[in-house]
Amino acid sequence: MTNLAEAAPARAGAAPGSAPTRLAGLRSRRRKEALWFYLFASPWIVGFLVFLFGPMVASIYLSLTDWDSFTTPNFVGLDNYRQLLTEDPVFWTALKNTIYYSAISVPLGLLIGLWLANLLNKQVRARKLFRTLIYLPTLVPLVAAAMVFKMVLMPSGPLNDLLGLAGIPGPTWLLDPTWVKPSLILLSIWGVGSATVLLLAAMKGIPKELYEAAEVDGASPMRQFWSITVPQLTPIIFFNLVMGIIGAFQVFSQVYVLTRGATQAPEEASVMMVPFLFDQAFAFYHMGYASAISWLLFLVILGFTLIAFRTARKWVFYETEVK
Amino acid sequence: MAVLTDVAVDRPTAKETRTPRAFRATPFTYATLMIVSAVLSVPLVLVVSIALSSDQTVNANAFSIIPREFHWENFTRVFDTSLPMGRFLLNSVIISLFAVAGQMLSSGLIGYAFARLRAPGKNALFMVVIATMMIPTQITMIPQFILFKELGWINTFLPLIIPNFFSNGFNVFLVRQFVSRLPKEIDEAAMIDGLGFFGVYRRIMLPMLMPALIAIGIFTLTYTWGDFMGPLIYLNDESKMPLALGIQYISSTSAAMQAPPWNLVMVGSILLTLPMIIVYYLGQRYLYEMDISGGSAGVK
Amino acid sequence: MTIDRARVTRRGFLGLGAAAGIITLTACGSDSDGDSGSSSGGGKLVMTVWGGEPDKTAYQKRIDLLVKKYPDISITLQLIPSETYEQKVQTMIAGGSGPDIMQVAENVNVYSSKNQLSPLDDLAKGAGIDLEQRFGPIGSLYSYKDKVYAVPDRSGAMITYYNKTMFSAANLEAPTAEWTWEQTLAAFKALTIPGKQWGYAGAEWWAAWWGFVYQNGGKIIDDSGKPVANSDQVVEALQWAGDLVNKHGVVPTKKQYADFGADVNGDAAFAQGKIAVSTTGFWAISGLLKSNIDWGIAPFWRGKQQAVTAFGSGLAISRTSKNPNAAIKAIEFLSAPDAQKVIIETGQDVPANIEVQKSDAFLKPTWMTKPVDMDVFGESSAFVYRAPFIPEWNEMQKAFENGLANFWLGKEDARTALNAVQKRLETIVKPAG
Repeated sequence: MTNLAEAAPARAGAAPGSAPTRLAGLRSRRRKEALWFYLFASPWIVGFLVFLFGPMVASIYLSLTDWDSFTTPNFVGLDNYRQLLTEDPVFWTALKNTIYYSAISVPLGLLIGLWLANLLNKQVRARKLFRTLIYLPTLVPLVAAAMVFKMVLMPSGPLNDLLGLAGIPGPTWLLDPTWVKPSLILLSIWGVGSATVLLLAAMKGIPKELYEAAEVDGASPMRQFWSITVPQLTPIIFFNLVMGIIGAFQVFSQVYVLTRGATQAPEEASVMMVPFLFDQAFAFYHMGYASAISWLLFLVILGFTLIAFRTARKWVFYETEVK
Repeated sequence: MAVLTDVAVDRPTAKETRTPRAFRATPFTYATLMIVSAVLSVPLVLVVSIALSSDQTVNANAFSIIPREFHWENFTRVFDTSLPMGRFLLNSVIISLFAVAGQMLSSGLIGYAFARLRAPGKNALFMVVIATMMIPTQITMIPQFILFKELGWINTFLPLIIPNFFSNGFNVFLVRQFVSRLPKEIDEAAMIDGLGFFGVYRRIMLPMLMPALIAIGIFTLTYTWGDFMGPLIYLNDESKMPLALGIQYISSTSAAMQAPPWNLVMVGSILLTLPMIIVYYLGQRYLYEMDISGGSAGVK
Repeated sequence: MTIDRARVTRRGFLGLGAAAGIITLTACGSDSDGDSGSSSGGGKLVMTVWGGEPDKTAYQKRIDLLVKKYPDISITLQLIPSETYEQKVQTMIAGGSGPDIMQVAENVNVYSSKNQLSPLDDLAKGAGIDLEQRFGPIGSLYSYKDKVYAVPDRSGAMITYYNKTMFSAANLEAPTAEWTWEQTLAAFKALTIPGKQWGYAGAEWWAAWWGFVYQNGGKIIDDSGKPVANSDQVVEALQWAGDLVNKHGVVPTKKQYADFGADVNGDAAFAQGKIAVSTTGFWAISGLLKSNIDWGIAPFWRGKQQAVTAFGSGLAISRTSKNPNAAIKAIEFLSAPDAQKVIIETGQDVPANIEVQKSDAFLKPTWMTKPVDMDVFGESSAFVYRAPFIPEWNEMQKAFENGLANFWLGKEDARTALNAVQKRLETIVKPAG
């Protein structure tokens, strides 16, 4: 809490009086504010306790058992975790692949989203149409999207035709162990529309006066973008970053529908954490083992998210301090 | 300012001088937008092309990118089934409307509290909010099913609707970020004018948060409308199933190696997507063209 | 701070309570949601099946016939999209509300080994089902530790589809059940035009190459339940299949496949007219009836000794069913000729009932628009080998899929690949004692 934030309510109260009463008043106001906070936040707290907390605790317990989801679970202590970390090579492959996927798709998605939002923020004719076209891919059901993506990525498909025009011999994408992850990243970039929606909505909220003033000062549009738009957007960029990390680490359906089957690249090239976990839980009936995977994944995501929050203090520009 | 913007678009030449250069569209802007839209649309053109293909083409998987044949009758064929498509549509509408209402009602207040009000334990609680999103839903699915079964909610819409009234991590975080961008002087001024915390939220924050809430509405709608896993797990009666699950029936086959009727699958996908496109196309003015330019303009 | 800690403990308490409740529930997840009914053979049943809209029609028609005959039984049909069937059923059972009758296939022993299905030997006898007589060699296909857990319902052998135009262009006689591997390979070579036309497709599919393994006297899992995936017979059979792709070039490579289109398997490539011979199930017929190519069907070739994979499914009764007697009565009816005929009349699949397979209803279905020798299915059913439906079926398939990826690309020989797979299988498969 900054000094400013602490001082503000005191100033707002502005009741003249001796120091002790002012302090007592401050304290009671603080208590009232805290009460209001818990009152306002109570729907989420209640929902969490009722719908999420029990199942989460249950999965922690299950991760310490050999539960097959049908018969009585046997307690096995940390055995699942030990096996995952020391014996199961797929776990480490999946983790490596997932980090690779996230490390590229998240920043790339953010940059492209920001760039598109900036373009759409201009006074473009038919901007409704452009916005719709860019958001549209996120609406297409996955069965359809996966099917057409397989077609686009065929060795002699349209994407490679396009690359061929530029004189680049295209890879075999989904069949090639080194190109299957970039293929998945491409699919994630195709759905960049939802990040763009938020960035654009936030851009619309930036006071125009800032740009007018910068214009008078002779700042170029590029400069205005970096010194006005981006700083003003940092809370939303930060939101997209954190949600991007959380989402990317849990990538599932795309991997599942694009990389399965005998005619695809070897699995170790594309296996990711949640598809790995899903197989263990619902194809192999190792629910306890799958629960252990999910909690290790939780720790990994938590780690990266905390790093994001740590660095946020340096670059996220809040109108007011929210910490 | 909203008015000015609109005018500027209608008569760009007259207002050119008053629009900051950063907002002026150059031919380069148009070129880029067109190329990007075209590239993003290639898969969609394919969807349409497959939807219009004959059964022979589907059977041999011999599709072309640009439609070569136009079997419009495919669009009526998906209704020519024993599946109650109209009922599916109605169910989808009911579930989605409640889900959207629930999220839009709850998320704003909770997010505002996390952004503005001070309380002991708030930051820790906020980390819990974020952390709830880090557990794959696949792993809590069975415990959650048991929970809803104990509540007697299986084979009803309740598991698909009720949790939305308690918001979720994504939306709380989103609103918090939007609120934190607004100058704090606004609420302070309102407090001096005698508004309580709820008053500030209701009178000051809510109008300014509308774009964020509309975005939440659109995301919730998109998600709920397209979700088939939740309905699959919680619903048993065919008469209660939503359209997204109906589309799954079209693409499902009785043998593992059997190819689904791709033309009908794509028709189904188009029919499922179309209402969302219309909602987004019409709804975007509330998302982008409301005057919410923070601070000065918004409050008065 | 104090508030915080108090909250945490209260929450922790609540959570532990909830968790304990959930585990207790799952441990004794027997309180089925099934409606009450007498055990006299009547009652309300829930039946889960997988598939799409055509499957729904076929199953519902059969149920309608059943209800006409036994008005005291009512069945709620739950059609679940195939890819999500196992997950939904698993969740239902884990949540203590499993179906009464469930469709099962290769995964049957996942459930039977975990005590989720009722053994049917006595029930079936009581209901007057003679499995051997009704279904022939596949009567006891779905068994585990000498007990039967599902009654066959649909069952069709893998058969050979061949392109008549290509065969006559190459001056070849139609394929027969008597072809040896040498004859088969010679025909494929004659039918291949490099880069344009291939003799065969689909060798990578387990259903095809496992057939070669059993033709060669090999087994994937031996009679004691141990994996024997790297025996000489298996290695030889797999190598033969792999050579079709990488040595003789008579089967398209992965890259060539991918260029045929998205998700193109042998069926679609055959329909495109790029493949002379395709081995697959009954389902290809309906698509081919609409195609322009001239095709015919024949039984799978024999190699050393006849063996062929069968596709199908059975009906099982869940352990938690409150109405096992009504359920077996329903299954008896559904697997008897009257109801089984519907399976072929609707064009859904091959009925498992042998009597129906020999009847005119099957040999000349009303929807058949060209003369097709449907007797091929009946002929093949005698050659069907008993595939090892071990509880770890899915895991075993995954081990093969992953372990053979490099082999099919021609980067490894069969022995190296199978040695690695065998090692993996030894950790996965626990012999059923």
